[in-house]
Amino acid sequence: MSTAAIMKPSRRKGPISFLTLLGWSTSILFFLPIAWIIGTALKPKTTVLDIPPKFFFIPTFQNLLDAVNFANTLSYFVHSAIYSFASVFLAIFVAFLASYSFSRFKPAGTDFIMFLLLSTRFVPAAAFVIPFFQLFNILQLKDSFLGLIIFYTMFSIPFSVWILKGFMDGVSTKFDETGMVYGASRAHIMFKVILPQVRAGLVAAFVFNIIFVWNEFLFNFQLGGLKTYGIPVGLFTSITKGGQVDWSFVASIGTLYVMPLALVIYFFQKYLLVGLTFGTVRGEV
Amino acid sequence: MSWILLIPVLVFFALMNILPTIWMLGLSFYNYTLTSANGATFTGFSNYLDFVKNQQLSQSVSRTFVFLLIAIICQTFLGILIGVLFWKNDKMPGRRFALTLFFTPMVVTPIATALFWKLILDPTFGVMNYFLTSLGLSKIDFLTDSNLAFPTLIVVDTWMWTPFMALMTLAALGSVPKAELEAASVDKLPIHRQITTVIWPHAKFILMLGILLRSIDAFKTMDLTYIMTNGGPGDRTELIALSLYRFAFKSFKLGYASAVSVFLLFIAIALTAIYLHVLNARKKAEAQG
Repeated sequence: MSTAAIMKPSRRKGPISFLTLLGWSTSILFFLPIAWIIGTALKPKTTVLDIPPKFFFIPTFQNLLDAVNFANTLSYFVHSAIYSFASVFLAIFVAFLASYSFSRFKPAGTDFIMFLLLSTRFVPAAAFVIPFFQLFNILQLKDSFLGLIIFYTMFSIPFSVWILKGFMDGVSTKFDETGMVYGASRAHIMFKVILPQVRAGLVAAFVFNIIFVWNEFLFNFQLGGLKTYGIPVGLFTSITKGGQVDWSFVASIGTLYVMPLALVIYFFQKYLLVGLTFGTVRGEV
Repeated sequence: MSWILLIPVLVFFALMNILPTIWMLGLSFYNYTLTSANGATFTGFSNYLDFVKNQQLSQSVSRTFVFLLIAIICQTFLGILIGVLFWKNDKMPGRRFALTLFFTPMVVTPIATALFWKLILDPTFGVMNYFLTSLGLSKIDFLTDSNLAFPTLIVVDTWMWTPFMALMTLAALGSVPKAELEAASVDKLPIHRQITTVIWPHAKFILMLGILLRSIDAFKTMDLTYIMTNGGPGDRTELIALSLYRFAFKSFKLGYASAVSVFLLFIAIALTAIYLHVLNARKKAEAQG
């Protein structure tokens, strides 16, 4: 940075306002527990359980490296990535077709199907674990990526349909009509005309479904196995590794898990609202 | 054409929702314990009757409602305060970064949240107890004290979900038309009149949707209690979803657990109906301008 840039008057006028101070303090207060975990991961292993706790120390990356090199850590991340990306891609494709139909043709029962789809996301996971557990045993889908991908595709469809239908309703049917007049095929209209206009919806659906699937624990734990366990199961088992709890290890896995998530929130902040309301609310933050 | 496009969704839906639901309904009429040598025997409504009579279970249902009510009141109150703070502060330096820090707790999987707080609240080497002792207070075992475990759970849940209610508050305030706000301030309307006549009529819908979503989610709470307290001490923090999980995977009473699942399914459908009712009310209000 040049001196000129430093000398430039900053955008704020006068001292930092009280409200700014309050806003920042609130944010830092809420982040403190996570910061403590990251700090624990960066502490030399021997000082982790010290009383009084060490607030100042020379950070080390040894714990993080140890965690990465530990038996299954990388495989948890790889497994999570495989089934999350595959199922979310599939879900968005399927949801795109369905939401185009719901938005443009409004077949009888549209509202009812949309209602049922949303309700499936509102049932406690534990309620559905038994039938899935038995079905997966019968169909021999346990501990297979195929099984998990099918399951998580359904898991991601309701939100994708809701969000994409919302965005498509906002695109005028004039586009479809003009396309028809020029003799374009339905597929051409859907993928070349409408799709680019709902790009924001696609991004939001993609990012938030990945987070939901990435974070899902119960079904991965019950329907998966050593070949398919993802990162939440990795976190869950980190506390039971060996006899005594190795907090450096737990904190390191936690840090590796939490950092990409924080980055996603930074870069996709404007989609946060629509993401966390399953596509039912849109607005500015 | 319209139905061809729907086939993939309907196939997934039939396979992954209708089939398991029918399975669950069927199973709920059977006495079926995985570990017992006897196969499944049809018992009619006896699982449901047992469920109604089971004190432990009705306790965990009412405990879930108490948890939901207190947690959501705290989160809504704090969320509105913080939401208004960031709304007033729309030009604050580093706002996006600050909001990232603030919003992160709600996207962390409850498994990780539970682990993090276990470390922080640990009675011997947790940093929280260090602060307590350095203030001259005695150590507290937050997660195993029978009077404190439940309030601690509520505090952790509030930490996780206050950002969500603040986000909904921001969205709710954002849904108030700027022109109306400006008109109100030009007219020098007193602040409480601004809130009741300008802000509330627009903001109430999104705020209510937020509260409803939180209720639905709080009702589903399981991972957090599973790791943090495992329902203990005793059954002090055992919420309904965890009880259900235990029936299924600790005592293997699948028929009985299915009956409980059907009950939860009906609650979820009812909550969805209420949710969509508010959503439609908002659309109507917007259409009328």
